[in-house]
Amino acid sequence: MQVESSLYLKNIKPILQELLNSLLQKYKYASILATDSKSRLYNVSKRGTVITEDEIISGRGFVVRVYDGTSYCEYSFNEIDKERVPEILDKIENELITLKNVLPDGITESKFDIINDEPCEFNKSSEYETNPWQFGSSKIVDFLTKLSESGRAFDEKILDCSASITCQQYHKLFLSGNKDMEQNILWTTGLIMMMASRGEEVKYYYKSYSNLGGTELLKEMENDISSVAKTTLELLESKPIKPGEYDCICAPDVSGVIAHEAFGHGVEMDMFVKKRALAEKYIDEYVASPLVTMHDGAAAAKETGSYMFDDEGVPAQDTVIIDKGILKRGISDVQTALRLGTTPTGNGRRQSYERKAYTRMTNTYFEAGKDKVEDMISSIEYGFLLENCTSGMEDPKNWGIQLMVNIAREIKNGRLTGKVYSPVVLTGYVPDLLKSISMVSDKVKLSGSGFCGKGYKEWVKVSDGGPYIKARIRLG
Amino acid sequence: MIDKILSGLNRNNISTYLINEEIVESVELFFIKKQLDTRRKKDVHHYSLTVYNDFEKDGRKMRGSSKIGIYNGMTDDEISKAIHEAYYAASFVCNPYYEIPAGKKEEPVVLYNPEEAGTLAGVAGKMTEALFAEDKLNDVFINSAEIFVEKTTSHIINSNGIDVSYQKLAIKGEFVAQCIEPQDVETYMSFSYDKPDTEALKEKVKKTLEMTKARAAAKTAPPTGEYKVILSGRYVKEIFTYYLMRSSAGLIYPKYSNYELGMNVQGENVTGDALNITLKAKVPYSIEGIPMKDRPLLENGVLKTIHGNSRFSYYLGIEPTGTYDCIFIPKGTKTFDEMKTGEYLHVVSFSDFQMDELSGYFSGEIRLAFLCDGKSVTPVTGGSINGNLLECQKDIVLSKEMQVEEGYEGPFAISLPKVSVAGK
Repeated sequence: MQVESSLYLKNIKPILQELLNSLLQKYKYASILATDSKSRLYNVSKRGTVITEDEIISGRGFVVRVYDGTSYCEYSFNEIDKERVPEILDKIENELITLKNVLPDGITESKFDIINDEPCEFNKSSEYETNPWQFGSSKIVDFLTKLSESGRAFDEKILDCSASITCQQYHKLFLSGNKDMEQNILWTTGLIMMMASRGEEVKYYYKSYSNLGGTELLKEMENDISSVAKTTLELLESKPIKPGEYDCICAPDVSGVIAHEAFGHGVEMDMFVKKRALAEKYIDEYVASPLVTMHDGAAAAKETGSYMFDDEGVPAQDTVIIDKGILKRGISDVQTALRLGTTPTGNGRRQSYERKAYTRMTNTYFEAGKDKVEDMISSIEYGFLLENCTSGMEDPKNWGIQLMVNIAREIKNGRLTGKVYSPVVLTGYVPDLLKSISMVSDKVKLSGSGFCGKGYKEWVKVSDGGPYIKARIRLG
Repeated sequence: MIDKILSGLNRNNISTYLINEEIVESVELFFIKKQLDTRRKKDVHHYSLTVYNDFEKDGRKMRGSSKIGIYNGMTDDEISKAIHEAYYAASFVCNPYYEIPAGKKEEPVVLYNPEEAGTLAGVAGKMTEALFAEDKLNDVFINSAEIFVEKTTSHIINSNGIDVSYQKLAIKGEFVAQCIEPQDVETYMSFSYDKPDTEALKEKVKKTLEMTKARAAAKTAPPTGEYKVILSGRYVKEIFTYYLMRSSAGLIYPKYSNYELGMNVQGENVTGDALNITLKAKVPYSIEGIPMKDRPLLENGVLKTIHGNSRFSYYLGIEPTGTYDCIFIPKGTKTFDEMKTGEYLHVVSFSDFQMDELSGYFSGEIRLAFLCDGKSVTPVTGGSINGNLLECQKDIVLSKEMQVEEGYEGPFAISLPKVSVAGK
């Protein structure tokens, strides 16, 4: 099934077109992004049951971008009808354009060329098997309740089992002088998280699920309670790791966050403009092992970071960032491409219509290699299998990387010993880490359960992943 | 719109509800070096509705709830249908019964008066001037910055008579300081004020530029080992989020936290500073309309308040206070210089500092630290710290010097003994 178009956007489109026409009479470039989005979060745990919308990813609203002949400015709003159009035009002219007048001495305005408004018209939709809103709250809550209760009943040491799903169905309409694009997307994510206590300390483990689709995802969650519970209980026996540099095998979720933090954020080209990314100086140079090929793109995979056009009206692409170890190119939004004289890559994204567009990732991953996971483990004399990444942070300026990993499984003489260390901080210099990759497994797994921030804000839905990789990594 | 929502509730015979209305107006400026890159303005109006559905299950009284957004452009029929679906969904939410707060119509509280503070655009201009006031050196400078000046009017209505509102100002933003020589490094810094505090922003920029210059001189990671670690700046607040979270009804009810009123959460035989923490009310009402006021959280390490929303507070049989996210801690027992005696590692910047309120673990990759071997001080970068507050909370020492960060007023620095460091 395909996600249907928004009736609201269809009804409001003539008014938006009228607003756009008025803007184009005054400004050389103008565009409007209209959004109609609904979401729902279901969660069942010992704390109770929750059904709520996720306010960050829900709502109806608009953002206008205009070019005043020198630079670009934007007006976000969410109330419009035919009578309000003159008021909106007045605010843009008299309150937005004039904002540059508040600048103190010594602060000037940037100068930009006009956006190349390439003609493009389409209306596309993602597909699903079961729509969460049609599937219904009753069945979803019932399913999650059974999962949560069976998790809690697994062992008396289990403190809680939280089971949840989140879904977003959004519709976006992009209008400019030459563009009339509409897209309709549905994604769903799931999470099982269990907690067990060791005195005052609470240990937890999670397994996440995601798709570009609907509640067909629930089938994947059905049979995992036992494995999540066993791993949570294993963590009760875990110890802090002895700091040092080790041979490590990263599970796909850890590989994915390495890709995301290392050369995802590192090649966001708005950072090139600000001279905040070292990668700008290393285009066409080896930055990783020849075993490494890395992609980003809304069209590079079918996951939660997928769409048909970005929030600036640029069609989705599949960008090869690293090709066999060589850094090839970065990703960019429109304004960044204007500054750098490059072509935008369909990575201009907003947290919502209320926020600015930045260069952002979409689906970011390492390509598969040829190795078997068993052979990778056998190849390690002493080291760790790293699983269950809980957070990551980039440092594009100095190519540092930090990941928090929940589980380090000890490997001795090519075998897993059963000993578990937790929590573990993975740090290092990105090229050292990527150049040390010596084995890559033959299957890729992407996960789109999380959101990505720009610094500490501007959350957008992304996926990342890859195969198992073997590398030399500093753990603490 | 409020009338339309009330009408939709009536049409569906729903008698228990909570409506949150929020009007946000903002001015946003984005800079690259000393050039304005983009300017933005925002005018949005949001409504959310929580409906409650009372029913019995297995002889037990239940109160389910479901929260939805009501969007501009929705017709009366669309609103009524959305409310109907939310009420139906709430019938599957099997939460034990609890009472929602009661109140009456109150006069609006104005925390932001444009006649005193100035227009949003005017405030943005003043803060821009303050942001760049200290940016006058050649070797270290502001690489880029963002300023958000936001006026928010919050209105809370519920079926138990609450009808309250308040208006506030928030000035938020971030900047990146860069130093090119002897090596190219940067420091990210955020700021948040509820009034146009130009002096505080100037001071923050000045300190960040100095810190960035110091980082440019740091080349190696500290040796692996155990250190007395000193944290300063915003990381001190992060450490104390542990106590704020562990004392919330939402964590105590499901037993994620073992805190009880009267419990000495720091444990017996505290050799460092006994903790005194006050919960600060940043806004006059919680999201449910519960009046908020300053309350003692810890007195000499003893838990005095469990804070939380109406549901978890009812389950625990305590007064609902609203959920707090701001704390005050009085000055500690040692000056910052006294803390820096003997061997220590003073971390002033992390890539990302994590404080896990469930496990007590804190960790982060070091972007800049000062390593003292007891004689000389060397700037270091790289490696990570990994410690557990449960193991060192009896021995923490707080500085006499104070600071103000978003959601925190308290000591500028904290000393933590025997923290594991993974370095060179």
